[in-house]
Amino acid sequence: MLTYLRKRIISSALPLVVVVVGVFALARLTGNPASLYLPLNATEAMREDFVVRNGLDQPLWIQMGRYFGGILRLDFGTSMRTGQDAADMALRAFPATLQLAGMTMAIAIVLAVFVGSAAALKPNGILDRFASFLSMTAASIPDFWLAIVGIWVFAITLGWVPTSGVAGAAAWVLPVATLVMRPFGALVQVIRGAMVSSLSEPYIKLARSKGATQYRVVGSHALRNAAAPGLTVAGDLTVGLVNGAVVVETIFGWPGIGKLMIDSILQRDFAVLQACVLLTAVAIFILNILIDLGYALLDPRVRPSAGARGRRRARSARRGNPTEIKDPAATGASV
Amino acid sequence: MSNPHTPIKRSRRLSLAVAVTALVGTTALAGCSVSNSENAGGDTASGVGDTLRIVLQQEPPTLEACESNLTSTGVVVRSTITEPLIERNPTTGELEPKLATEWSSEDDTTWRLTLREGVKFHDGSDFTAEDAAATIDRAVNSDLGCNVEGYVFGDDDLELNVVDDFTLEVTAPSADPILPLRLSFLEVVPAETSSTEKVREPIGTGPYQLDEWQAGQHINASAFADYWGEAPAFEKANYQWRSEGSVRAAMITSGEAEIATGLSPEDNIGDLGVSYPNNETVALRMHADTAPFDDIRVRQAVNYAVDQESIVQALYGGRDLAAAQLVPEGIVGHDADLPVWDYDPEKAKELVEEAKADGADVTAPINLIVRTAQFPKIEELAQVIQEQLTQAGLNVNLQMLETSQHLIYQVRPFPTDDDGAIMLMIQHGNQAGDAAFTVEQYMTTTGAQSAFGTEELDSMIKEASTLTGDERQAAYEEIFGYQNEEVVQFAHISHQTGMLGISAAVDYEPNSASGDELRLSEVTPAQ
Repeated sequence: MLTYLRKRIISSALPLVVVVVGVFALARLTGNPASLYLPLNATEAMREDFVVRNGLDQPLWIQMGRYFGGILRLDFGTSMRTGQDAADMALRAFPATLQLAGMTMAIAIVLAVFVGSAAALKPNGILDRFASFLSMTAASIPDFWLAIVGIWVFAITLGWVPTSGVAGAAAWVLPVATLVMRPFGALVQVIRGAMVSSLSEPYIKLARSKGATQYRVVGSHALRNAAAPGLTVAGDLTVGLVNGAVVVETIFGWPGIGKLMIDSILQRDFAVLQACVLLTAVAIFILNILIDLGYALLDPRVRPSAGARGRRRARSARRGNPTEIKDPAATGASV
Repeated sequence: MSNPHTPIKRSRRLSLAVAVTALVGTTALAGCSVSNSENAGGDTASGVGDTLRIVLQQEPPTLEACESNLTSTGVVVRSTITEPLIERNPTTGELEPKLATEWSSEDDTTWRLTLREGVKFHDGSDFTAEDAAATIDRAVNSDLGCNVEGYVFGDDDLELNVVDDFTLEVTAPSADPILPLRLSFLEVVPAETSSTEKVREPIGTGPYQLDEWQAGQHINASAFADYWGEAPAFEKANYQWRSEGSVRAAMITSGEAEIATGLSPEDNIGDLGVSYPNNETVALRMHADTAPFDDIRVRQAVNYAVDQESIVQALYGGRDLAAAQLVPEGIVGHDADLPVWDYDPEKAKELVEEAKADGADVTAPINLIVRTAQFPKIEELAQVIQEQLTQAGLNVNLQMLETSQHLIYQVRPFPTDDDGAIMLMIQHGNQAGDAAFTVEQYMTTTGAQSAFGTEELDSMIKEASTLTGDERQAAYEEIFGYQNEEVVQFAHISHQTGMLGISAAVDYEPNSASGDELRLSEVTPAQ
């Protein structure tokens, strides 16, 4: 396991550097931010002064050298917009995004497991059709629309929850409900598909024939086998949320990293943008390792091998290829 | 159950435990930093408590007093947290005493200010001429790079002389009849304020003092007990920010805030939306260095082709006014009698034809450059203009750009597009109340936002800046007339209106400065 972890860390470090260098260079290609920060009637001397003060007069490679030198000393630069430490700003915004993502995924996964499993019991039955309709709708509603309608109905008309903000538990309801829709919809589809194929496997027949209860058959045997594709999709969805739920953060005034990142792009606030990108990249890197560990825990065959193979297996299982994945429980039961 | 089950069972429990711990962990850990700070102003349902809650379009980047000419900073700071020496009345345009009680000058170069006695800063120290001098020195003469320096003072430094505790002399490098107006942009801070670093949370003399700034969430302020003037009606103030207009409007209708800034009629605010003239003027700026704008008849044709009155009525519900110049009523130099160009599409076509007959390349492409979401319905406006100019026989491409891209075209040095002549949609707000701030930037041959001009106009502008009183007014009126007759750099569209959301629980009369400077002491509970 440790060798595996070490390999993963080394192979992920390179993309991290590429991302940071890429963002650094691309951001600076978008032009001189002086006119965004100075009054429109600023004189040429003021513009030059601004450029020099922010080190933007130096060649790109010197700026980059300084930046990486700074990173080694944990100095991520200063925001041109607020004059604050860029790393502080990013670190302050990130927990708000993480908590939103965590809460959203927890609710989406729990709901999707129940709805998806229930739907898979009788493929094409009424419940299945209803779940399919529900999940399709949930996955395809635009979030900005849902957010605005949610505010209108539940905050203004009914007055049950505040329109926006972060004060108190009630303020969480609308943002989380808005965000849950897409992961819920996607996960129901995946879990339902995986459960349908699991439930038609021979080992399920065996489990039923030996007299296991419905709950045990579905909840223990089938669900465990269907969990891998669910984990793949849930992982991808979580990565998307950790990057910042820009629309929801913007509408509800949620002080997260997505909003901060968009603002820093529009304002050409390079240091903050880089700090945000670096932070989310590291977070996604850690998340990916956690997901791989999750596979290893779910499927013992992944443990000694490289993570990529486990993922490939999981993905092919998601596509409904029953030959590649075999249930360890089934193997055990047949002994 | 056979043996092989055991390890699997354990690992399942483990995986479940890991997943749950991870999810709950992130949520709980993150939870500490965000939701443990309850917002001030608990009274949501029933009327208004002792807290005045304001919802802004964006979080102020800083509250640094010398950046308070930035709208998002000034709306919180100006005349609420800090105060200027002299204050401009946005309705009458008159200068009124604030921390200075009198000011006069013999020669318009050296100005003598008498300061108010008995004023305290929020930290308990007394306000004296030293503080006033340090404020001016810090904002205008230092290397801080204050925004207000560039906006109002330029590269010139001011000479300061503290005569006694309550008398200050300020000397400009040359005669400057509007120096008191310029000084009205400086918010006074204590002499101890750092002059090498900007200060995000200033100490001022205003009716409210800053209590807490929870980054990303809110700013709380409370009434300053030792305020020299009349105590404000509300004990506390709470600022929040939402970038969506409809959410700000919803916060007013649902009773979560008393005042919302920057609304538009589409935000569904109903009767609680109060519109007010906001000093902003929209115009098209034509760059005459490229065909077809190198022919004045084409620039005139643009003016005839745009139907200002229909635009104002149909797109802006008749609240905005058709414009004939870059400054609205209430600004020194505005000419109330200057006629708006007639809408005459036939005349426009004729002028284009005439220019064509004389060999002008009237089919050369024109790039209409517009900033996305700069103000409500800007895209519709741009499309209407594009259509009307096309009808007149011109070849117009519409380019919607984001702010920083748009700025490349807005200020010198201008790019020269190989693929067409530049027509830029500008929105100009004269916060200062004097046409000098407009014409020097927008109409001189080298002005930062002026595409071209004439030597004659340059000398008229220079002359006007030295005049006072009626002469000054007449000189600027003449300048605006001259631009429409002889230069035609601009096709004016409209003088705009802004909209505030004001809860029924409070009384507040917005004025043309409300968007830049929301004086909380003027807000009272509804009678």
